[in-house]
Amino acid sequence: MLVEKFLNHISNWGKFWFGLIFLGSIFNEILEQFTMLSGSSFLWILAFGSGAMIGLVAKIRGAWL
Amino acid sequence: MKESPEIAAEFSFEKEKVIAKSFSQRFQWEMILIGLGQAAIWLSLWPLVLNGLLDLWAGFLIASLCACLAYLPSHEAQHGNYSRGNPKLRWLDGLVGHITLVTLKFPYHILRITHMKHHAYTNDPEKDPDYANAHNTSVLQVIKNVLDGSTVQFDKYLEVFQNDKAFVNSFHQAIPIALLYKAAPLVLVVIFPFETLLLWWLPAKIGSVYTTVFFSYYPHLGTSAGRYQNTRFWSHWMPRFLNHSMQLHFIHHLHPSIGHYDEPKAIEALKPFLIARKVPGADQIPDKITLNPLIKI
Repeated sequence: MLVEKFLNHISNWGKFWFGLIFLGSIFNEILEQFTMLSGSSFLWILAFGSGAMIGLVAKIRGAWL
Repeated sequence: MKESPEIAAEFSFEKEKVIAKSFSQRFQWEMILIGLGQAAIWLSLWPLVLNGLLDLWAGFLIASLCACLAYLPSHEAQHGNYSRGNPKLRWLDGLVGHITLVTLKFPYHILRITHMKHHAYTNDPEKDPDYANAHNTSVLQVIKNVLDGSTVQFDKYLEVFQNDKAFVNSFHQAIPIALLYKAAPLVLVVIFPFETLLLWWLPAKIGSVYTTVFFSYYPHLGTSAGRYQNTRFWSHWMPRFLNHSMQLHFIHHLHPSIGHYDEPKAIEALKPFLIARKVPGADQIPDKITLNPLIKI
């Protein structure tokens, strides 16, 4: 039952989590390495927030592209 | 198999099967080498890149090449072409099938069962898991769908084949590996962001696009249902070894047990049968399939 709930959650919210964690981490690293923002305390909010937003839009649209 | 009265006795299915069987005996060592080799090379890229011994961009190129080579060895395993019916060698099918797909992040059990359904119901809009790829509007649309992930409709086919116990069991068997392939990049990307992107995620996408375009789309483009009509012989500007000789894919649909590297010889031998059966494009098959005979000039 618990496994089924977990699988349903992954199936429904997979795009959001991918956006938040995967894209967020990539954006964070890009901002850290290639911008003047390195070290800024708001950097991770910008990076992970953008990732989460893209993931949420993909979840609502039902597709990435 | 019921013969059409139009088919001469010399081109009977029985005779076709005997010829095909003679090309279905050899041990597929090349595929094992490619499957396990590319996975080993891909895995070795991680310590090499992380320790600064290899540039990340070079690693990306090598990983992408590995991903393009990853599917076919698993495909042979899906058909049991390593064990060839020997129960003592069945572990080899599973070993190669699982390991080679690490690069592409696909669970072997799901690909195996959906591929078996693809063979059983080729070009059936409801039951063929490859239908959406093979009957897409353009190659660009196929690429978009693969990048989007919308070609992977495993849930849909779990519903379609819900009464097929073997299908459902294999599907459930694959869930832990599918979850691992979802979770592993999400963990790795937090620790090694660019490495995860360029050594695994992007190469897996490139490999999936390559596989879908050349294995699903081109061989079935414009074909219909029916044993001798569901795949075609086609030409391409690309030398055939760069697209895994998928111009010859129709012979695989007729006789899946023929090993991949034995297909050219099998096609030469079976050419008269294929013409008699009106396989799409069979009249254009060269009498001798050399290393690179299929480039459209």
